[in-house]
Amino acid sequence: MSNIPRGIRRGLFGVSLPVYALLYLPLSVIAIFSFAPSLHHPGVNLAAYGELFNDATVLAALRRSITLAFGSAILGTALGTLMGFGLSRFRPAKGGGFWVGALPSLIIYTPIIMPSLVFGISELIFFNLVHEYTGLLSAGLLTMGIAHVTFQSPYVALVVYARLTGLDPNLFEASHDLYANPIKSFLYLTIPVVRPALIGGFLLAITLSIDDFTISFFTAGPGSVTLPIYIYSAIARKGSSPEINALGSLMIATVIGVALLYYFVTRRQQQRSRQIPAVA
Amino acid sequence: MTKLKSFLLGAGCAAILGAFALPQAARAGEPTLNLFTWSDYIDPAMVKTFEKQCGCKVVETDYDSNSEMEAKLKAGADSQYDVVVPSSYYVARLVAEGLIQPLDHNAIPNFKNLATKFQDPTYDPGDKYSMPYQWGTTGIGYLKDQIKDPPHSWSLLFDPKVNPTYPFTLMSGSGQDTIGAACAYLGYGFACDTKAEWLAAAKLIQETRKRKNFAGFVDGLPERDQLKAKVNSAGMVFNGDVAASYADGSGKDIGFFLPKEGAEIWVDTMAIPAHAPNPKLGLEFINFILDAKEGAALSNYNAYSTPNAAAEPMLDPSLKTELVSPSAADFKLLHFLPPLAGAKLKLFNAIWTAAKQ
Amino acid sequence: MSTMVQSEARSRAWRLWLTSGPGLFWIILFLLLPSGIMLGIAFFTNSDFGSPVLPLSLSSFSQVAGFGILGWTSANFTVLIRSLLQAGIATTMTILLAYPLVFFIVSRPANLRPVLLLFAIVPSWTNQVVRTYAWMQLLNPFAPVSHLAQSLGLIPPHLGLMPGNFAVFIGLTYNYLPYMVVPLYAAVEKLDWTLVEAGRDLYASGPKLFFNAVFPQTVPGLLSGIILVGIPAFGDYVVPQLLGGDKAMMLGSLIASQFTFSPDWPYGAALTIIMLVFTCIGLVVFRRLTQRLGGGEGAML
Repeated sequence: MSNIPRGIRRGLFGVSLPVYALLYLPLSVIAIFSFAPSLHHPGVNLAAYGELFNDATVLAALRRSITLAFGSAILGTALGTLMGFGLSRFRPAKGGGFWVGALPSLIIYTPIIMPSLVFGISELIFFNLVHEYTGLLSAGLLTMGIAHVTFQSPYVALVVYARLTGLDPNLFEASHDLYANPIKSFLYLTIPVVRPALIGGFLLAITLSIDDFTISFFTAGPGSVTLPIYIYSAIARKGSSPEINALGSLMIATVIGVALLYYFVTRRQQQRSRQIPAVA
Repeated sequence: MTKLKSFLLGAGCAAILGAFALPQAARAGEPTLNLFTWSDYIDPAMVKTFEKQCGCKVVETDYDSNSEMEAKLKAGADSQYDVVVPSSYYVARLVAEGLIQPLDHNAIPNFKNLATKFQDPTYDPGDKYSMPYQWGTTGIGYLKDQIKDPPHSWSLLFDPKVNPTYPFTLMSGSGQDTIGAACAYLGYGFACDTKAEWLAAAKLIQETRKRKNFAGFVDGLPERDQLKAKVNSAGMVFNGDVAASYADGSGKDIGFFLPKEGAEIWVDTMAIPAHAPNPKLGLEFINFILDAKEGAALSNYNAYSTPNAAAEPMLDPSLKTELVSPSAADFKLLHFLPPLAGAKLKLFNAIWTAAKQ
Repeated sequence: MSTMVQSEARSRAWRLWLTSGPGLFWIILFLLLPSGIMLGIAFFTNSDFGSPVLPLSLSSFSQVAGFGILGWTSANFTVLIRSLLQAGIATTMTILLAYPLVFFIVSRPANLRPVLLLFAIVPSWTNQVVRTYAWMQLLNPFAPVSHLAQSLGLIPPHLGLMPGNFAVFIGLTYNYLPYMVVPLYAAVEKLDWTLVEAGRDLYASGPKLFFNAVFPQTVPGLLSGIILVGIPAFGDYVVPQLLGGDKAMMLGSLIASQFTFSPDWPYGAALTIIMLVFTCIGLVVFRRLTQRLGGGEGAML
């Protein structure tokens, strides 16, 4: 904005540059350390990466992380979309009393607000009790997935809700007249309309799943060590190791790569959508 | 939007396909042995041998302290694992808590390989619940290049005059080792087990925690690794972990000694959790470890002493050092920790919790 | 007529539960019920092995209050105060860093802003464990930063900047900075600059102008940021565990150790209640403030 005086803009630049540097300094340190010389490999070396790709434990953990993220995100997006849709469409605009008005919001906000530690330990105790009395829900990828869906679905619901409240309510009335059948109306109107929110919510759910450590840690079982849990236990034990540096670097590189890709894809689309009306 | 959508869909499919193309951890229907053991305590090659022998898959999960293992078993893991490796003084506690089940001796013919002094131990009469795995000692590990010629005493950890500046740690976990060390330093002996002695030890630990160079409570193997990484300079470690770091050259700056006031000797044992999904495989694994050849391979890998008499001839000569095989003089310093259960255990835990806070 | 309205309302309620029901039921079954059980455990007695057993008692709460076998200690009180302080200081630091950053982004050309914002957020997309590990590498006793601090006499010789309170503060600030940047950016982007222009004519001087014309407009974003940073920082587990260890223990580690090391479930559950109480107080206070200061949260449910 040109309203900001030049001197202040310079000052802002001077302060922000170190902040950006601070944001990337630790990440680059890991990357540099991952090539650091070791006892058996003096000089810049890629040994840590080589070991990583041959380590069956790491590869299995990676596979589990991906399975968990996609599996839970699919269910979390489905449940979350339905919640966001229902609340925006069928809840009375004002009030609605405690049961219809306040309670659903309260329930949806609980997983977002609850400290993940409390979340994780509660689940640990609960799954343990259920398993003790019914033999079901033995701790593993399944229980982790259940926990992940629990914290993903509210975020998806918020994203979908935000999209739907921004729309003209007459749109739904019109479709109601057109299709009559509410399921058809949902499939042919609601789904296409919320698609951006749906995709956004799904991506958010995947990010949340991959980013989570605490809840996964407490709901994991013997055969369900995922990447974050693997890294955490390696760190808690060794304090530092070339393999963890390499693994961390790869994760950072993936995230930055995806972010750049996302940026360029959306920018191209924006440019294109700007061009279309100009052509027409 | 369509571009973005197809891109995302493509990426998603690729990720899922990639996930399943990676080596599968366990094929459905194949029996699985869930092994819950200390970190770095078994040669991966031995696990492979066992997998071939039993036609099963082994899933290994690691812990670094008895208390970590006990807490996991309590929280439902007693129905997830088939073999756990508790230390001798933990066996009675797990039995009293109903977390491990009696062993069927008929399924463990290799029991005969055990040296007689490891059979029918006081911590588990008649070997009803446990079979010895390895044995070793707990002492002080330190960085030789930083702390020059320290006194062979617990004072390196507990006396601020002996170590005023170098960062050091105390052992975490059940607290029995740490309280024992404090007791030994105070002159009550390592195996102290009265309330008054524990309280005095707890007060000492509280004072120690306040020192600037106290770096935290760290378990044995993590402390060895942190010494290797030079994150801190002294702490309580297990002898075999240090020996193993000499063998691969990674721990050449680490020194180890048994403090003259007394130190711990322990036997780690194999046991089967109360609701193990596959106790038969668990027994098969225990018998496998007690085999003469495998027992020797185990010691040659983790550099701890074996209770397996039949394995002795096949041991690597490097294990004959005083570090791994304590001398007769060392044995005079070494004590087993008292097994605790019932009200006494509750008292001890209350004291340990208070000491740590 | 009234029956029609009634049946209409009933059918809406029915559809509401049909669509939102599965998700809500899922959260109730897998979060509200489990946390209810967990809170209930706080009122049981601790067994010899740390399990909850009857009779019901309040002994775990006296333990929380600091009464232990060694007499009363202020240890738990210290941990609580430290958690609150760390969360508070880290939140303040994120505010101090986020304001110039956000105004810097807004002062750039419109087509550059998304990428500048993206680069402020990207580090938070890596796993929290990896981010915290990165700081462990930087603050180790043998890291150059620690050597510098040693030679400046800021820390005693041979020690590192971690583990300790300082490392936890750094870790929390680093981890939660983006959560302050995003809501603040949303607020600053919508800033009404005509008000600023008017203010410039009135007040002229820089800081005065900022606090009278600019700052009030950013308050809703600031309050959202405080909730997004302060509350998770207070209950954080990974950062204090890895960067603070036993030297700078926060409530999260204290609770976790009652379930993962020396088990004492009733005590751990009672500590959990303390954590939830303070979380709720923080939430209610800042929600009230937001409402009073007229923060329009576009699509709040």
